[in-house]
Amino acid sequence: MSKDFEQQLRDALRPVDPEEGFEQRVMARISSEPARTRAKVIRWAVPLAIAASMAFVAILGTYQWQERREQQGREARRQLLEALRLTGEKLDVAYQAVNRESPPPDDGNGA
Amino acid sequence: MKASEAWSPDELLTRATAGEAAAFAALVRRYQRTVYSIALRMLSDRHRAEDLAQEVFLQLYRSLDVIDSDAHLALWLRKVAVNRAIDRIRQEARHDNEPLTEADTVVDEVGDADPLLQRRMAELVAQLPPAARAVVVLRYQEDLDPVDIASTLDMPINTVKSHLKRSLTALRARVLGAAIVDDDIQPSVSEPSR
Repeated sequence: MSKDFEQQLRDALRPVDPEEGFEQRVMARISSEPARTRAKVIRWAVPLAIAASMAFVAILGTYQWQERREQQGREARRQLLEALRLTGEKLDVAYQAVNRESPPPDDGNGA
Repeated sequence: MKASEAWSPDELLTRATAGEAAAFAALVRRYQRTVYSIALRMLSDRHRAEDLAQEVFLQLYRSLDVIDSDAHLALWLRKVAVNRAIDRIRQEARHDNEPLTEADTVVDEVGDADPLLQRRMAELVAQLPPAARAVVVLRYQEDLDPVDIASTLDMPINTVKSHLKRSLTALRARVLGAAIVDDDIQPSVSEPSR
């Protein structure tokens, strides 16, 4: 009896087809969707573009930072060399002045 | 004969995933009966069933990338159709005890089965609570065994069996108009023949 009842239930619930043209109606709704390949590209392209932009900004920033550091280093080196050169010149002047003003050494015979 | 009819189910899926409209249309043709029938049994209304079935296929179109085989596709479609139908029933908070109109009680009369009895049984199934209705529809319309029903509905197997047993008992009692309900009715779990 249970088996018969289940078979009756199965008969009562036999699958039915949708109304004619269902496939066309689904495809019409889908035609308003972005194309699958395009949708796929868009889905990947947006995060990729964001990631690429961020990477580009990071690389550019790093490059500029390094460039600035090198420029500062070059400027410091130039200033150091300039300072050394000036110091050297002043030392030369001082050395010459000292030599010029000093009396010749006494030879000890009173002449 | 359309070229798409020569393609294997997995080839259809591959081509549809690659963006071939003809392949996707063939997938719709292949599964429209399943999806629409689930929607109709769950919602008991042809127009809402059609709308829900269309939405299921739209969701499929957007989700093709996550489907890896034809078997997965069949499971996915049933799961989405049932879950969307249950969501809609809950949102609308109706139908649980709403009798169907004659036009909505669709039975595909076959063999020597009593058409009036079939109609009555379809009406009674439509009056079951949504979760129990889903279990009965998947069991007797889709011929799924309790394990597959549990997987489709994300439901423990014992809950599926309990729904089946209680639904069968209630349906049988109401169909036969029996005052005494046989508590020992057990749903068969063997694979039904079609």
